[in-house]
Amino acid sequence: MRLRREQTHSPCLREARVIVNGVFIDDTYAEAFGMKATRIVITAADMTWAKHAANAAFGFATSVIACGCEAGIERELAPEETPDGRPGVAGLLFAVSTKELTKQLERRVGQCVLTCPTTAVFAGCAGEETLPLGKNLRYFGDGWQMSKVVAGRRYWRIPVMDGEFLAEETTGLMRSVGGGNFLVLARSAAQALTACEAAVEAIARTPGAIAPFPGGVVRSGSKVGSKYKALPASTNDAFCPTLRGATKSELSPEVETVLEIVIDAVDDDAMKAAMRAGLDAVCAIGADGGIVRLSAGNYGGKLGQFHYRLREILA
Amino acid sequence: MSGTFLNLRAAPAGRIDMTGVLPEALAGRGAGEIEKMALRVDGVPVALGDIFAVTAGEGDTLTIRPGDARLDGLGRDMRAGTLRVEGAAGHYLAQGMRGGELIVDGDAGDCAANGMRGGMLRIGGDAGDWLGAALIGDRAGMGGGVVAVAGNVGDRLGDRMRRGLVLVRGRAGAACGARMRAGTLVVAGGCGALAGFGLRRGSLILGRAPDAMPAGHGDAGVVTLAWLGLLRRHAEAILPGALPETPRMHRYMGDLAFGGKGEILVPACA
Repeated sequence: MRLRREQTHSPCLREARVIVNGVFIDDTYAEAFGMKATRIVITAADMTWAKHAANAAFGFATSVIACGCEAGIERELAPEETPDGRPGVAGLLFAVSTKELTKQLERRVGQCVLTCPTTAVFAGCAGEETLPLGKNLRYFGDGWQMSKVVAGRRYWRIPVMDGEFLAEETTGLMRSVGGGNFLVLARSAAQALTACEAAVEAIARTPGAIAPFPGGVVRSGSKVGSKYKALPASTNDAFCPTLRGATKSELSPEVETVLEIVIDAVDDDAMKAAMRAGLDAVCAIGADGGIVRLSAGNYGGKLGQFHYRLREILA
Repeated sequence: MSGTFLNLRAAPAGRIDMTGVLPEALAGRGAGEIEKMALRVDGVPVALGDIFAVTAGEGDTLTIRPGDARLDGLGRDMRAGTLRVEGAAGHYLAQGMRGGELIVDGDAGDCAANGMRGGMLRIGGDAGDWLGAALIGDRAGMGGGVVAVAGNVGDRLGDRMRRGLVLVRGRAGAACGARMRAGTLVVAGGCGALAGFGLRRGSLILGRAPDAMPAGHGDAGVVTLAWLGLLRRHAEAILPGALPETPRMHRYMGDLAFGGKGEILVPACA
């Protein structure tokens, strides 16, 4: 897809912009943050049960603001790709600190994987630093747990009512990037959803990245701060179509809906690849599919150490 | 083929103690220097060059061609490199081994891998008694590493074993896994009497059920164990065919007279 510069005459879009397949690309950037992350592999007797465990473990993990971590299924794994030769899924968890990640990992694996029939859990990444995985969960075995060292890695066999829960002792800690994002501005809600679904599908095919919100899409983009002192964030009024005319809106008249896609990735390269995949998918739908503009969320560049300029990513 | 070669000139009348003849000790040394190393034949010091023809080479691989000689203490305290024995090994093979790879093409004598702590020992033929057991005077046996035996093993396999993995494609003798404290023993061909006697922890996986399960082991019924899938992937890469294909096992917990936290696993169909 090629970029071309075009002068637009919309009252809200007076500066020169780049257009891809009829979609305006704002000259802006997504501001992302350094985060701590880990990857775990959940296996089970079949894919259905592996997904049950994963969906529970990575559920309610859309934003670190109130969930403690952001998490999601990275991809499904065939039996030959998993440590125990059973079908499984790889999932990524991101948090703002090692301490919080440790807490979230232990809680989620303890409550959602340990409890799920036939499952086992393994480290999905290496790292100089490690996080406890089965290390403390083993005490659920009440003294009947057994340790096994296979190929230099320690696993815990914890007796449960369907047999045993197998958990690797630790998993690796990765220094990662969270909060990559872009906004899809469309003529209708249906068209915005269609474009976002295509973007999320493309991001899902990118290794090392997840879109943690429901279906990978956010409708409640936020700005920092609020008129209410207790709230750290509030609705992004500049992109709310119903507030057009009442606030300093970023939206031109033809935009009826804005949806955001938030991406967390294991590193800078994975983030760029995921953003590119998502943006390309939306641009492929283009103006004919009702897409008006692509933009991104940032905080003036003062908070996040990673900046992803949309035009550079699409170049 | 690279590395250093020791070819037996003629088998002496006694047993040869090969302690200290290790890949890491010979690496970088010339033939003349190696020939001056001292060995003991029946306790009498002898120059290595009097027994072996030495061909020194680059790298940390040592190949020994033992002919008919009885070489004891091969790979004792070995820490790195590769030691290949193109023939049979005597007693005390890989005692206290901590790293590297030791490959014996033929049989091995008694007390192999006693006190082994790490590394990989491969025995192409049969092994004698007390494989993976404790060093004389030690409280615990093998404490790490992997032993793979393509043939059969004698009595007292893994006696007081503490950690590590032993894979046997053939059959083991009596008292297999006796007094074992932890670790994993896999014996594809089954074993003799008193399997797992005094077992405290650890896993004894038998391809065939023993004629009689020893008293002191409680029947835990049939279970499917996910960790066997994990172990199978590892074991197949080392010694194919040693671990039963099924993760569905009949589990016997014991020895109940010694804490009862060990297990004997036999394929549910066996």
